[in-house]
Amino acid sequence: MCDLCAKHGDGGKWYLNAAHYADEIAEKYNLRDYLLEQYKNFEQVPVRKVNGFNPVGFDYKIKMPLIGRLLKRMAEGMLHSTRPPRNPFRAEGHIGQVVPLEDAIAILESCAAEPIIEKNCMCRYMSRGIQEACCINFGVMSDIISKLPRFIPTKDKFFLTRKEAIQRFISFNNKGYIGTIWFGPFPYINNLCSCATPECAGIRPRLDFGIKSIYKAEYVADVRADACTGCGGCETVCQFGALHKAGAGKTVTVDYDKCYGCGTCRHACAAGALYLRSRDEVPQIAEKY
Amino acid sequence: MAKRTRITIDYSVCGDGNKVDPRACGACMRACGPAVFTLHQTFGTREKDPCDPQHWRITPLWATLCTRCNKCVEACPEKAITVK
Repeated sequence: MCDLCAKHGDGGKWYLNAAHYADEIAEKYNLRDYLLEQYKNFEQVPVRKVNGFNPVGFDYKIKMPLIGRLLKRMAEGMLHSTRPPRNPFRAEGHIGQVVPLEDAIAILESCAAEPIIEKNCMCRYMSRGIQEACCINFGVMSDIISKLPRFIPTKDKFFLTRKEAIQRFISFNNKGYIGTIWFGPFPYINNLCSCATPECAGIRPRLDFGIKSIYKAEYVADVRADACTGCGGCETVCQFGALHKAGAGKTVTVDYDKCYGCGTCRHACAAGALYLRSRDEVPQIAEKY
Repeated sequence: MAKRTRITIDYSVCGDGNKVDPRACGACMRACGPAVFTLHQTFGTREKDPCDPQHWRITPLWATLCTRCNKCVEACPEKAITVK
């Protein structure tokens, strides 16, 4: 169990706690105004100064001995903040976790607040200039996104029923997109993303700079050695480079330290040899989220 | 520390409401393997029309990840990018 679950899970997983999806939270913290202000200028957030530090060139500064450590602490403090959100131009309390298909379906079936919408991914637009509708949003986000034409999908449907949302999410997962769920901002959950590296602005800080901007899933992938044919198809889908077929070995092995537990590799395995197990069952990576 | 990669974009050609709108072109962003570039609104447009900002530009945000493959330089139709 990760520390988000321990603190906000109410005995279970934090993202399966329906209290975090309630519209009352949005009203309590006045998140309608906050989120509208944030999404109006969403692409500016990564290039705006934070506490006097310019993010352009941040990647160099973080490699400096002392300043780097200070910057990392500052960035993590901002992302993990549990105080009421104040500044819409900073990613305050914006922390997420990787979710496999089963948990995402459970979220969409029982937790997500109506209305459910599908919008263009902001990260792909920011870093590639591509508009691809693959972000599923809940609750007050429908009001906010309807005011911002660049996020409204032109080809795909905007408002989704629960069933349609599940169908859409399954199709993204089959493509190999990583399912992620986000507090945006804490304690309101409104995003179920289908991410891809290196475009995802949430996964990049963790993969490239070691800032905990996203937690690994509660699960980890593993291989049934007797079923694996050693075709290596899963190697190409893994976005974290966690699956390898060693030259001499006949089966694929999982690098537990690199695996984020997204479970998309399972769609690539024709033999059904890959499965997800609880992260806490594997001693060397238990408690490492 | 490794030598700093300096990527510069000529904003008098691309972005800021000049000749090329980066939202319509975006060739460098699609060409870049590690996705070094970020497309964003120019500061200062917020006050004029916040819901539909007109001026956008591209910033090379993650220069440490640049592999100096020069694909963006080749992809740019206006030859506005230099990598040093």
